[in-house]
Amino acid sequence: MDRRATFWFLYFPPLLWLGAFFLIPLLLMVAYSFRADMHGSFFQLWQPSLAQYEKLIATGSYWRLLGVSSLMAMVISVTAVILSYPIAYFLAFYGRERAGFYLVLLLVPFWTSYLLRVMAWKIMLGTEGVINSFLIYTHVIQQPLTALLYNRNAVILTLIYVWIPFVTLPILAALQRIDISLFEAAADLGARPIHQFLRITLPLSLPGVFAAFFMVFIPTVGEYVTPLLVGGSRGSMYGNIIQDFFTKAANWPFGSAMSMVMLLGTLIMVGLATRLINLRDFLE
Amino acid sequence: MNPKRPVLYQVISMLTMLMMLLSACGGGTATATEAPAPEATSAPTEAPAATSAPTEAPVASETGTLSVLDWAGYDAEDFWVDFKNEYPDVTVNFEIGISDADIYAKMAAGNQADIFHPYTGWLQFYVDEGLVEEIDTSKLSNWDKVPDNFKKIGQINGKQYFLPWDWGFTSVLYRTDKIPEGVDSWSALMDPKYAGHISMWDDGPGAVTVSSYIHGYDETNISADELASIKDEWIKQRDLNLFYWAGEPELVEGMTSGDVWAAYAWQGAYATLLANGVPVAYANPKEGRNSWVGLYGIRKGTENLDLALKFLDAKLGEATGNNVVNLFYYGHSNQDVMNGITDATLKEAFSIDNPDILKTTNFTPNLTAEQRDAWTAMWAEVKAAP
Repeated sequence: MDRRATFWFLYFPPLLWLGAFFLIPLLLMVAYSFRADMHGSFFQLWQPSLAQYEKLIATGSYWRLLGVSSLMAMVISVTAVILSYPIAYFLAFYGRERAGFYLVLLLVPFWTSYLLRVMAWKIMLGTEGVINSFLIYTHVIQQPLTALLYNRNAVILTLIYVWIPFVTLPILAALQRIDISLFEAAADLGARPIHQFLRITLPLSLPGVFAAFFMVFIPTVGEYVTPLLVGGSRGSMYGNIIQDFFTKAANWPFGSAMSMVMLLGTLIMVGLATRLINLRDFLE
Repeated sequence: MNPKRPVLYQVISMLTMLMMLLSACGGGTATATEAPAPEATSAPTEAPAATSAPTEAPVASETGTLSVLDWAGYDAEDFWVDFKNEYPDVTVNFEIGISDADIYAKMAAGNQADIFHPYTGWLQFYVDEGLVEEIDTSKLSNWDKVPDNFKKIGQINGKQYFLPWDWGFTSVLYRTDKIPEGVDSWSALMDPKYAGHISMWDDGPGAVTVSSYIHGYDETNISADELASIKDEWIKQRDLNLFYWAGEPELVEGMTSGDVWAAYAWQGAYATLLANGVPVAYANPKEGRNSWVGLYGIRKGTENLDLALKFLDAKLGEATGNNVVNLFYYGHSNQDVMNGITDATLKEAFSIDNPDILKTTNFTPNLTAEQRDAWTAMWAEVKAAP
């Protein structure tokens, strides 16, 4: 088999998969966002309309919520990266032959469902939850704290927890690619550990750090499950509103338009960020 | 150099992919929380036998396949047991919808289910968009057992398009220990006295209904100004509201723990809490309770019309109806089933001994497509408000 044939043989299945389950649905959503309403059947042709985008542009609260959601995603991804870095550092340089075992420990929570892990935080933060019961038992407080659950902070806390193991992996991968002889050379030239970290480890691990950041940031802007469970009345994110238009309003055209705006917004933010930090320099 | 590194790196990339898949699955399961019906954990005492199967051998040996688009929980065999017993060789496949909007959107998008299960409010556009077949009631042996006022709810433009099946009340459910003074109005859901302990259903039309009752608006004819003031009202209410509940189990949990004192609720939650010994009462608001009915429709153009009619007829059967009453604490459209209720908790839940309750009850009117879009958008703006 020549190289070309091998190439297509290997690439066809994933291409087919991406096309059928990502590209076609995405294009359908683009098409739907230009529908005036749900009237008429799915495959019926319709007059393209900008009505959904006009409505969306006119509704300031959705734009504000997109901003709030992006800000939350930023806080969550930065915090998750900062908390994960030491974990990855430990696994890479101090884990030794036990590194695999520690890694499995880190990933154990993923053996249960996402929903269960979020519900566990409900049990931690609730008025009869672990934290409140402990504080009441130790007489620190008399009345349970109600500010722990059903607000944006609870959403941020839960999402940071959920993301930490994910975030650790790309950072770990980057740290493991560092050639240890660089440290020996640095030490020979008189660099102290702190300088070795700042001049060698940190710069060389940055591609992993940025990969980790975007891995969290992009899906978190559109997050909707966690806010639904622990966010309470005021904790809705932009993704919840999109979900509502699909599942509670039977208004797929407007939901599609909202999704398109979010997709474009996220792409622009990521594009600007990669330009600012010039990711290519790190990756090459 | 640690020789294990490249191997570990491969393990990591594989794990990463696995985790992505797992998290995707986790996200998917979240929709299950929006199931409308509770999984009753403890049936009331003295409940009639749940699945009393007919003793006669099945006469018809019908075969084939039926597909039903229904809510989570109603796919259990308990809720189509009469059909199962009569036509054991027919395969019934269920697809789950998570809300009225979801079921409607699926049918509008060309879902091939033979039978689907909408609720009052969400009927008109199935007819307008030509998605539902008129029901030939002469083929239904149990049709006589359905009271006329229920039959009427399934009629659109004077034709019987839907078969009424399950029903219940909506009212304010409250903890009697936290609100000893009691609740006599829907406005309890907006009372600052209960700040942080109120839970509203996560639904725009539901919010419009409550506001209409409180202010005496005509629910079928809400003006733009009225809708704007309803929006402001619910944005204010949001600061008093602990969380918007999506499924009954979520509400039951909140009321059991004592976090929620007053809530918009169906009587399924009321009966579940009563059976669990939680001190709750179900208000008789001065504006009247709300009542809703679930109906079955047959997709226009289905190739299984006869079988679908047989399925609907069996849905009205007594064993099936008893299961709706005893397992989900909802009413059933077969009057014989309702007359047979002896359990005190259930009698209380349906207010069976209160002859005036239905006179002061407001049935949910049908939404137009414009109302549906305007009211759901209003609710989205409430949730998105600063």
